[in-house]
Amino acid sequence: MKGKGRALVRLLAVQGAWSYERMTGVGMGFAAEPLLRALESDEPEHHREATARAAEFFNCHPYLAGLALGASARAEYEGVPGAQIRRLRTALCSPLGALGDQFFWAGLVPIMMSLALVGVALGAGAVGLATVVIGYNVARLLVTRWALWTGLETGMQVGTAISASWLPRAAARIAAPAGLVAGLAVPVVGAWLLSPVAGPRLAVTLLAAGATLALVRWGGARWTSLRVGLVFALVVLLWTRFAP
Amino acid sequence: MPIRLCRIDDRLIHGQVVLGWARALGIGDIVLVDDDVAASGWEQDLYRMAVPPELKVEFVDVAQGRRRLPEWESGPMAVLILTGKIETMSRLLADVPHPPPVNLGGIHHRDGRTERLPYVYLTDEELAELRRLESAGVAVSAEDVPGAGAVSLEGLA
Repeated sequence: MKGKGRALVRLLAVQGAWSYERMTGVGMGFAAEPLLRALESDEPEHHREATARAAEFFNCHPYLAGLALGASARAEYEGVPGAQIRRLRTALCSPLGALGDQFFWAGLVPIMMSLALVGVALGAGAVGLATVVIGYNVARLLVTRWALWTGLETGMQVGTAISASWLPRAAARIAAPAGLVAGLAVPVVGAWLLSPVAGPRLAVTLLAAGATLALVRWGGARWTSLRVGLVFALVVLLWTRFAP
Repeated sequence: MPIRLCRIDDRLIHGQVVLGWARALGIGDIVLVDDDVAASGWEQDLYRMAVPPELKVEFVDVAQGRRRLPEWESGPMAVLILTGKIETMSRLLADVPHPPPVNLGGIHHRDGRTERLPYVYLTDEELAELRRLESAGVAVSAEDVPGAGAVSLEGLA
């Protein structure tokens, strides 16, 4: 199919026109346009409908959106009825959201962030950070490309292709290593953060850990892990700045 | 265990349902009520991929759903019922004694619908349909994720 390269580049900005009304739908339509262009001369009416369909409401993990984009573009060329393609897009939101969240947000991102923090704590500095940022983006590009190519190859059979691929297994298995790396990073980074201060480091650490546990346990839904983490970071920052 | 929640969400099974509500309410069984999906194996395969192994997921049509409501009400697991359309939910709960509460979780933009909340777009007819449900004794409110704060139908008018 023509336009694969351009669709891939446009997919990188799939969230660029995010709105509550269509979520990533407009970004999907923009990325689908180069793929669907070949329909324009022969079937102008179908081309119009297909492009509009591609821009309808859509929501999934941005790095995996190519699976839905490629699959629906192929289905359009195969003359699959529009209603069927709509249902494919709706049904794909679920697994592509869940698998992407598990693999990236709860797996690869914590692993890479922990490695970056450990790198800084151990003195790797800017080189360490650059390695992590570049490594993460290479992984993201490879996954985006795999997703679009797989979608384009398999069309309406994309579901079977996803369940047979590396993705569900990796998504199910990445949580344990992510927990391990993040858990190893915490004491290393904690020791590094507290190293410039004299005073009761152990007591402060225990106090902070106790306060965190109490907030998460009894603080109610308001105290999300992000908020607790930010408060914790603020306490450490103030402590390292102003402690005697 | 009772049916803890009936949710209307056009994205059907996704993160807010599986991680948000199912965890918060201790759900063991997610029931997707949809005539089309109940008849389509490949769609069920896709939705199953989005659900962690410790959660049970069932696919039924409206008729089966109506028959099995008493079974879920008295069964061993807390149940979350999910439909993609308002119309499906009203058919499911029509004339049911002591209906469970209905949660509007995600009804997105379509031609003719206007924004009521960032995640709820309704036509006037759909709002009227929800009002009919409420006057039939169903508690209806909108809340995308647990703890976000429920918005009553009055707040959507």
